[in-house]
Amino acid sequence: MIRNLLRYPSARAAIVILAVVAMLAAFGPSLAPHDPLAQDSSALLQGPSAAYWLGTDALGRDVFSRLLAGSTVSVLASLLSVSIGMLLGVVPGLLSVFLGKRFEWVSLRLIDALMMLPFLVFAIAMTAMLGNGLTQAMFAVGILITPAFFRVSRAAALSVANAEYIEAARLMGASTASTIRHHVVSKVLPAVAVSAASMTGACLSIVASLTFLGIGVVPPDPTWGGLLATDLSALYDRPFGPIAPALLIVATVWALNALADAMRDAGTQEQRA
Amino acid sequence: MTTLDNVVSLDRRARRAEPADPILSVNGLRIIAADGRELVRDMHFNLPRGGTLGIVGESGSGKSLTCRAILDVLPPGLSVASGSIRYRDVDLSRLDATSWRALRGVELSAVFQDPGSYLNPSIPVGRQLAEAIRANLKMQRKAARDRALDLLGRVGFADATAVYHQYPYELSGGMAQRVLIALAICAGPSLLIADEATTALDVTVQAEILALIDTLRREEGLTLILVSHDLAVVSQVCDHVIVMRSGEIVEAGSTREILHHPKSAYTRSLIDDHAVHPIAVNRPQSADAPQRVPILSVRGLHAGYGIRTVVQDIDLQVAPGEILGLIGETGSGKTTLLRTVLGLIPAATGAIELDGQRIDGLTGKPLRDLRRSGALQYVFQDPLRSLDPDLTIGASIAEGLYLREGRLGVSAIDASVTAALRAVGLEPELSTRLPRLLSGGQRQRAVIARALALEPKVLLLDEPVSALDAVNRLHVLKLLRRLADERGIAQIFISHDLGSVAGIADRVAVLYRGQVVETGPAGALLANPSHPYTRKLLDSAPRLAVAAPATRSLFTVY
Amino acid sequence: MTPALQQGAQVVQLRHARAAARFVRSTLSIAVPVFLVATLITFLLGVVSGLDPAAGIAGDAASPEIIARIRADLGLDQPIALQYLQWMGQLLRGDLGTSWFNGISASELIAQRLPISLSIAGMALLMGLVFGTGLGLVAGVRSGTRIDRAITLFAAIVSSLPPFVVAFGLILVFSLWLGWLPSSGYVPFSEDPAGWLAAIGIPAVALSVDVVADLARQLRTGLVSALSENYVTGAVVRGLSRRRILFVHVLRNAAGPALTVVALRVPMLIGGAVVTEAIFNMPGMGKLAADSALRGDVPVVQGTLVVSIVLILACNLCVNVLLGVLQPAARRRS
Repeated sequence: MIRNLLRYPSARAAIVILAVVAMLAAFGPSLAPHDPLAQDSSALLQGPSAAYWLGTDALGRDVFSRLLAGSTVSVLASLLSVSIGMLLGVVPGLLSVFLGKRFEWVSLRLIDALMMLPFLVFAIAMTAMLGNGLTQAMFAVGILITPAFFRVSRAAALSVANAEYIEAARLMGASTASTIRHHVVSKVLPAVAVSAASMTGACLSIVASLTFLGIGVVPPDPTWGGLLATDLSALYDRPFGPIAPALLIVATVWALNALADAMRDAGTQEQRA
Repeated sequence: MTTLDNVVSLDRRARRAEPADPILSVNGLRIIAADGRELVRDMHFNLPRGGTLGIVGESGSGKSLTCRAILDVLPPGLSVASGSIRYRDVDLSRLDATSWRALRGVELSAVFQDPGSYLNPSIPVGRQLAEAIRANLKMQRKAARDRALDLLGRVGFADATAVYHQYPYELSGGMAQRVLIALAICAGPSLLIADEATTALDVTVQAEILALIDTLRREEGLTLILVSHDLAVVSQVCDHVIVMRSGEIVEAGSTREILHHPKSAYTRSLIDDHAVHPIAVNRPQSADAPQRVPILSVRGLHAGYGIRTVVQDIDLQVAPGEILGLIGETGSGKTTLLRTVLGLIPAATGAIELDGQRIDGLTGKPLRDLRRSGALQYVFQDPLRSLDPDLTIGASIAEGLYLREGRLGVSAIDASVTAALRAVGLEPELSTRLPRLLSGGQRQRAVIARALALEPKVLLLDEPVSALDAVNRLHVLKLLRRLADERGIAQIFISHDLGSVAGIADRVAVLYRGQVVETGPAGALLANPSHPYTRKLLDSAPRLAVAAPATRSLFTVY
Repeated sequence: MTPALQQGAQVVQLRHARAAARFVRSTLSIAVPVFLVATLITFLLGVVSGLDPAAGIAGDAASPEIIARIRADLGLDQPIALQYLQWMGQLLRGDLGTSWFNGISASELIAQRLPISLSIAGMALLMGLVFGTGLGLVAGVRSGTRIDRAITLFAAIVSSLPPFVVAFGLILVFSLWLGWLPSSGYVPFSEDPAGWLAAIGIPAVALSVDVVADLARQLRTGLVSALSENYVTGAVVRGLSRRRILFVHVLRNAAGPALTVVALRVPMLIGGAVVTEAIFNMPGMGKLAADSALRGDVPVVQGTLVVSIVLILACNLCVNVLLGVLQPAARRRS
């Protein structure tokens, strides 16, 4: 699969971008040339310079340092949200196919209900009312993306549930658990991996939206979305300010989407071969 | 496109008056794939007006591609590299889209295999028929409706109005093919191409559809190209036959010539497929054999789905070493019967006994224990679909062994897998391969090996050879017969292929509308059927239209 | 009409009526539980938050007895199940409760702001449908060509843009550089239709890009796979025109998944309005929800959520009906 994946130029580009982002997330804060919270009142709203590569914000803080420092939180938050969504979605999605009509009906209605919630508004409400913090935000986003994982794993499981090899296993006396373990999981995982990649991108964008609104992360702690918010409020003074954080977000989300697309294509190619 | 305009505006009766010149001529046709592979080479024929041409060949021989090239509907990536296709005096390779539209339906039309898929699933079939009539004959809405109803009647629907409003998924394969035929003739075309139009239909339905095509051909004065993998189907309808293989013409000539004096070995092998008993294994005549205690017996069985009873009052026994052939068409309840025996469908009433033990009504642990014992094994119709594509052949065979005796060591299971593969004539090295890397014949043996590894007492086989070519079919049938004779494995063998059943089975049961209408020793029953349905089934089976030599047995089918 | 046909038509009418009844029943049997669960989640959110207005209303110096009396007045001392039933009962009568913050009824607060959110979300949906369908059609019909690749690339890039980034880009171009459109504020349609359009222009475009990208991609995929179906070959062989095959036969079957994707996007549209409203400084429902959430005004938050849920549910029901009309076969089979 990996070798197939590398045949796609977009996948290669995506992997390079994601490697850079991973580095930023791991070492960003220690690489920052300035203290991301330090204010330099002699240099407010400056353009790029040798001292401040991306200029300074309204409080005289180094934008580049804040961008690096904010990487860890932004990336981790989206990864954790996806993990929560996967945890809550994948297993029930699988079981909804195999555990009988009653469980199926109930789980489907619960997932339907989650899908009817107004996404960002609900995330905001949940985060704010549970105490405005990153953990609450991740939890809210994780719950709200649960249906995506439920649907993907259910669809993949459904497509094999009536396969003859599943029936063959049952006719040899295999239990439901053993059937799922041996025959279903391997069919479901690729689909889940694909949607995990694209959902990580979506979560990054959502978490950025939340922090942009001041939800989840409280200023002055830097995040990519938060940086955008401060840059946006100073748009008239530094019209190019938001470009760096926006580019970073867009590049990462694009890379994750491209990776997901390439994984899907490589998967279908493999099936055909 | 002045020539085409001339053609289209010609008076049809005037055109039909001169049968000598060809209506369709194909010359040096070469079809290539996007990567340059040649799929059809130097295909050529002249088809006179009112003629009937059969094109025969196995899948991949290029017969269907030729038809699609004539209709200009080649699959994406394929193209006509050279050669000409002329319809009357029009060179079809030079037509633009508008002229094609004027030609299709009105002059050329076609029906295909898997007819249901050629109808839009979201629109009632009558409306699709009326739509084609309006598009091609420029009729008013109401007139088109009336003509559609009339046509549905002509293709054999007693209740045309009901069919008019039905959706494709509500139609059986035979019904869908009738609709497709109505669509094909709705604008009075001159040339009809029937591409595997009866493939995958039941024999009785196949016979009806062939008769319908032949009748309409005579009534409408159609020129016909009938494409089939089955020489018998073609020989019943067509005057001329082209035999194709690997994209080339192997042999061509009149049907009589081809059947009586085949020049190529390939054509002879096609004829032999039909003329000879598929299996010449020496099988013990169960009529002479002493009566044995049945290992599996079904008494007074009723079963179905929900309130719908599919099989009724079934009584069947099979003894160790005996093969019971179960014959019946789609919907006759063969598969339901097997699934009930396997405990996948609950039996409504009646008893199923395996080795003297009641096995109907088992659930939970007793059922699982029965299944893990491996005494009763099932072989699916399509081996590729019944093997997990992600597991190696060895792993698939070992699964049942692990389930039965997880405590058994890995080496013991490996030994059993190897033994099972050897028993079906496969190299043990194949156990590390994935199913898709095996040939069709190897896969079917692998599936039998999976069943065999558990040392079954009874083997239930659902159309185990229908997907195989003649050679592999014979091998697998011989293998099954040997398993019965040498290991005493009782078998119930479902097939629509009377030849296979005749060759392998000791006894035969005929299933019709959920009931066993006739049962008896294979030879006697098939030679001298007593039930009218069995007779119809035997008569419907396509056979070569050549006069039968006296020595040939009755079972000249397939 | 022949008698036979007439009779057939009656049979069909009866069958259609039965199918419609079955459809309504199955739709309700899904919509009602989903509504109940979604509102239950909303209600529980308030309970779990542990927020309590009593102390705030009573003031800092209030004695525990006074707080307890206020709690009793508000019904907060009753079991949660009873509170839920009361809340649901009020909900069904259209009473969304009263703001803990300023004592104004939640319905009134929401009614003031709903037109803004509806304008933006509705316009975004409309633009998404129009442009998404257009691009998807072109890409699907011309699949493999340069224009298809351009559209696919556009969709890929656009769908990796968070709406607020798009909004910022549009502000930069259309407000700051070109000065064509305002970058904040809202004008009611009844006062000045042109001003209304200008005000919601950028927010709606920003919100619609995701719908455009999703719809275009899904429609393209659906068209490409539908175009390779046998029934298309059948229609070609029957002599139907390309246009008729595309619009009558193919689009009908390809539109299903595309419509479903649009339905899935509606919660994002209604929920996403909160960001655009914040950027453009519009007093919409999303902003109301966010502000109320941040100050712990539980009834207002719950009210906005319930109204949003009802809107989303209604959109989904519409899509379901449309799907049923487009693909009756699929409906009856399921």
